[in-house]
This record gives sequence, structure tokens and C-alpha cells, in this order.
Amino acid sequence: MTALPTIPLHLLALLPVTVAAFGFFLPRRAFQLLGLLTTAVVAFFALALFVEVRWGAEVVELLAGWEDRIAIKLVADGLSAPLVLLTALFMLGTFLFSTRASYMDNTFLFLIMLLETAIIAAFLSGDIFNIYVLFELGMLTIAILIMYKKDKQSVYDGIFYLMMNFIAMAFMLLGIGYLYRTTGVLDLFALHTRIGELSDPRSVVVPYAFIMTAVALKAALMPLFGWLPRAHGAPSAPSIVSAILSGVQVKFGVYLLVRIQWVFSPAIDAAPFFAVVGFVTAVVGFLLAIAQKDIKLILAYHTVSQVGLIVLGLNLGPEVAYWGGLMHIVNHALFKGLLFLTAGIIIEEYGTRYYNEIRGVFRRMPIVGIAALAGVLGITGAPFFNGSISKYFIQRGMQGNLGELGMFIINFGTLLSFVKYSTILFGKPSTDAPADRDPFVGGVSLTFGLACLAGGIFGGAAIALLFGQEYSIAGAYDAEKIIAFVATLVLGVLSYRFIVERIGDFLESVRTYRFNFNQVTMFLSAFFVSLLAYAYITV
Amino acid sequence: MALIRMLDVSHLTVLLFFVGLYGALTQRNIIKTVISVGVMDIAAISFFMLANYPDDGKPPIAGTPVEMMADPVPQALMITAIVIGVSVTAMCLAMAMRVAYRYDTSDWDILIWRNR
Repeated sequence: MTALPTIPLHLLALLPVTVAAFGFFLPRRAFQLLGLLTTAVVAFFALALFVEVRWGAEVVELLAGWEDRIAIKLVADGLSAPLVLLTALFMLGTFLFSTRASYMDNTFLFLIMLLETAIIAAFLSGDIFNIYVLFELGMLTIAILIMYKKDKQSVYDGIFYLMMNFIAMAFMLLGIGYLYRTTGVLDLFALHTRIGELSDPRSVVVPYAFIMTAVALKAALMPLFGWLPRAHGAPSAPSIVSAILSGVQVKFGVYLLVRIQWVFSPAIDAAPFFAVVGFVTAVVGFLLAIAQKDIKLILAYHTVSQVGLIVLGLNLGPEVAYWGGLMHIVNHALFKGLLFLTAGIIIEEYGTRYYNEIRGVFRRMPIVGIAALAGVLGITGAPFFNGSISKYFIQRGMQGNLGELGMFIINFGTLLSFVKYSTILFGKPSTDAPADRDPFVGGVSLTFGLACLAGGIFGGAAIALLFGQEYSIAGAYDAEKIIAFVATLVLGVLSYRFIVERIGDFLESVRTYRFNFNQVTMFLSAFFVSLLAYAYITV
Repeated sequence: MALIRMLDVSHLTVLLFFVGLYGALTQRNIIKTVISVGVMDIAAISFFMLANYPDDGKPPIAGTPVEMMADPVPQALMITAIVIGVSVTAMCLAMAMRVAYRYDTSDWDILIWRNR
């Protein structure tokens, strides 16, 4: 089916940065319009690409006319095409959201469009060295975006982020070198075949550990997530940066986790290791989220928790949990993007970032409040919202009491921290007069909110449409599921009221404790050694 | 002595990588950690360059007989990696300078205290 016109993959990837390079010299207003137009065009072509891949065949492009396995390859298949579409639509939404924002100057627009190129090109890339280069490009761009307003705290956040990722990239480069030495190819698909042909699967254990350590850091797994809250919750970055980082950029690490595991699957299967790491990440993420006071940091730590849940689902084993994990990538992008965008508006309106100083968002900004509530319901997995569907799929993959208990702990923790977050919505605001807002702000927020609701009501259709998998979602609407959610909610409110509010001192000490750079490097080395040991023992 | 004869240059680069990692693990000064990570990066690049290198390989440029050429792929890729490494190091140093101006220190531990 080729009803929509398609363009070559490299043009799709290069379009934003090419336009940005020329637009940089235009007047600001013209550049803003040009940027908006470009993201719309990219979104259209991403949609066309998705349609072609989903109902046709996967699209492969070999650059510079070399033959397969030698050329640098771009691939859009059933895994990457939906994620490219998600990225493109998400960028379009954020651009609409901030068309008239004061921070949209030429440098900022250029960086955002460069980041869009880096993310889309990385999803499409079928060559491991290319992925390394695009990682570095994204890393530099993000480092500048984090410290965009150049205040004191953000300089520290920026250098911490940059140094951690630089170390991880050195790990990855050494791993790629080792892999090239062993197999002689860099193409992901050729690597998959060559690794299957190796006489001794142990010879790829070391490169596997090197590369996966870097990928795990990018995906912000326990204990390597230290950079994520600093980057995503950075006080000086505009909220659309946080939304893009949490919504799509961190998903690239998760995507690569799936891809690289597949590449090494003939030799190494570390799925149980990553399932455990994912579970621990999910738990630690929400525990730290409860301790935060800054609403953007609550959301940032929640990204850690949800990424852990996604990685858990992807590595559990059963098909249904795997697709649930992929679906949760999309759903998380929707509700976390929405929450960050609305949080940005709320912070701007109230002039503070602390949850205990913000009250009555519903009264002061009804539209933003309703949109934020939709996001909260989505992330907590309330019935009829999208989070409930993907969490239900992941849960179906967990057999036995232990898995169910783990899932309950994660659900309960998510609810508990969002009870804390939701306190900003209720109550009486100090003043009722909101500042004038761009209509796009409310419009985009509501669209994201409606998408969360639609993703829940038509959850089965969504997973069938995006990934071509047919699963019944009837079980997600059982009376017992709804009762379980309400019971968890009541339990969450009660524990918040009677436990969390009374251990403020303890939470304060958790909140202010920081690891220094050397300790974080230690965590990285420890993760590397344990992954190496696990892979070596199980192979 | 047998052990030393077994070692070749690529083993040394792996050793250099872990020397760099040791630096990143132990040094508290930002500039020293930047240097350490730079050493790690250079070690990884050298390791990659030596991949599939024949004993008396010649540079893969015009005029070299094909059978004597070193594998050209790592050489081409590592030019990219070197450029990236230089720019990231430059960015790290520029940010380290800013940190030093703002906080009046370049010690990771003291930075944490000043951030509270």
C-alpha cells in the first residue's frame, strides 16, 4: 500500500537539521514559522513511512551505493517506524505548544531541530557506529539545552550529564571496536548473523558488556540513572525540553536495549538480568519521586520508574508483556509529555517549583488542570486511560504470586507519588486571575489528554494499529480491575496522609543526598562487571 | 618474559582504557576527570584502529597494494571518533571553566555541598 508519497530515509532524517542550518540566519519570527512547517512536513512523511512499513514491507536504504553489509544502512521496520512516527508527532505537538514562547530564539530552535534529527536518524540507523555518532550528537545538544539559561545549578547539572555520558560513550566505542575485531562487520543485521555463526559464543561476552553498559546508562537503568533527573528536571531548561527528553529521547535508550539484545540473541540471553534491573529501577524511581518537592523533579524521577517498568515488560519473556512494554513506550511519551508541558505552564503561572506552594490549579487554570489530571490518570493506570492497558499487558506476562506482588508494588508506588503531585490541583488558589495564554497551549494539552483517554478506550485497536498485534483488552475492564484500582487509590491516599506526611525529615535527607562523580563512575563500573559476570556465567 | 611477548599494542590500549577509568574513579578535580575520560576515549580509539591490523600493514592510500593494506574501515571511522572526542572534551573543559567561575571550586565533593 503506497497511497501516501514517501521520501528517502536519509532525507527524512536530515530534513530538520538542514532547514535549521539555513533558518538560523532568518529573523526569529520567520524561523519559528519555518520550524513549525518543517516539523509538520517531517510528521507527514513519518506517517507515510509508517503506513508503508505497517501495511507494506520494511524499507531499507543503503547509502552511497555500496552493497549490503558494507554500506551504512538505514532501516525502517516494524519496531522503528512506529517510534519514528511517535517522535515526529511529539515534536510537532511541542512546537505548536511553544510557538509564541519567549525562549524560542534562533539558537534554541536550531538545537531543538538538531535534536529531532539526532533522534529520528538514530531510530532509523541500522549501523552500530552510526548509532554511536548520533548518541554523541544528541548528548552535546542536550548538554547545551540543559544549561540554556546559564544559572548556577544548571552549569553543574550540565557538566555532570556530559561527563557521565562521555564515559559511557568511551565504553561503547571500545565495545564496538572489540565487536568489529571479532566479527568484521558493523551492520546490526549482519552482526546478528555473524554472531550466530561464531564457534565460541563467549568471544562476544566482553563487547556485549561494554556496549550494554553504555546503553543501560542511556536508558537510565538502576544504578545509572543519576544523570536523568538532573537533565530532565533541570530548572533552567524550558519545559518542552523536559518533555522531549522524557517523552522520546530516553526511549531511544530503551529501543536500543531491545535492538542490541536482539543482535546478540544467538549468543547471549541476559533477559532475566534486565528484568530484575528493570524492576529495581521501577521501585527506586518512585521511592525517590516521593521524596522530591520540586514538581518537575517528581516527574523526572517518575520517568526513571516508568522506564524500569518498560524494561521489565520487555524482558519478562511472554510475548504479551513484550508488546505491552512497547505500547508503554508510546503511552508514556503521551502522558509524560503532557505532564511536563502542563508542569511548565503551572510553574510559569505560580512562579514557584515547589509542590507545597502551588494550590488550586483547577480553579486558576481549568483547562491546564483537566489536561494534567488526564496525564495523572494515565500514568497511574486508572481504568479507561492508556496506562492501564499497557500495564495490564505487562501484568499478564507475570505469572505467579511474586510477579503480581511486584506489579502491585510498582502500581501502588506510582499512585502514592502522584497523590503527592495531585495536591497541586486542588484547594483554593491565592489569586484567581490567570495570565493570558496562547490558545495553542490549552489546545495541545487537551489533545495530549484526549490521546491518553483514547489510548485507553481503544487500547486494543491502538496496539493492533501500531504494532500489528491482536490482543484482547477485555480483561483490563473487569470489575475486579476497577475495584483493585480504587482500593489502591484509597490505600495510596491513606498512606500519603498517615505515613508520607509524617516522615518529612527522612524524605528531606533522601532528597538532599547526592552522589559525587566518582561514586557514579563506581556504579557504572560495578554495573559493567556484574553484567559481564552474568553473561559469562550464563553463556 | 613469555607473558610480555604475548602482549601486543592492542592489549596496551585496553590497559590504558582502565588506567583512564581508574582516574575517573579516584580524581576529585574536574579537570583531572576530564583528562581521565579523554584518556579512556583515546584508548578506545587506538584499540579500534588496531582491529584486524596485519603485522606489516601499510596505510590504505592510493598506491598501496591491496594485499598489504591495513583494514581501511577502522581508520575511516576513527577519524570521526577523534573529531567527536576532541569536541566533547572541548565542551567539557569549557563547562569546567564555567563551573570554576560560578562555584569558585573544581572539586566534585565541594560542588555537591555548594549545591544544597
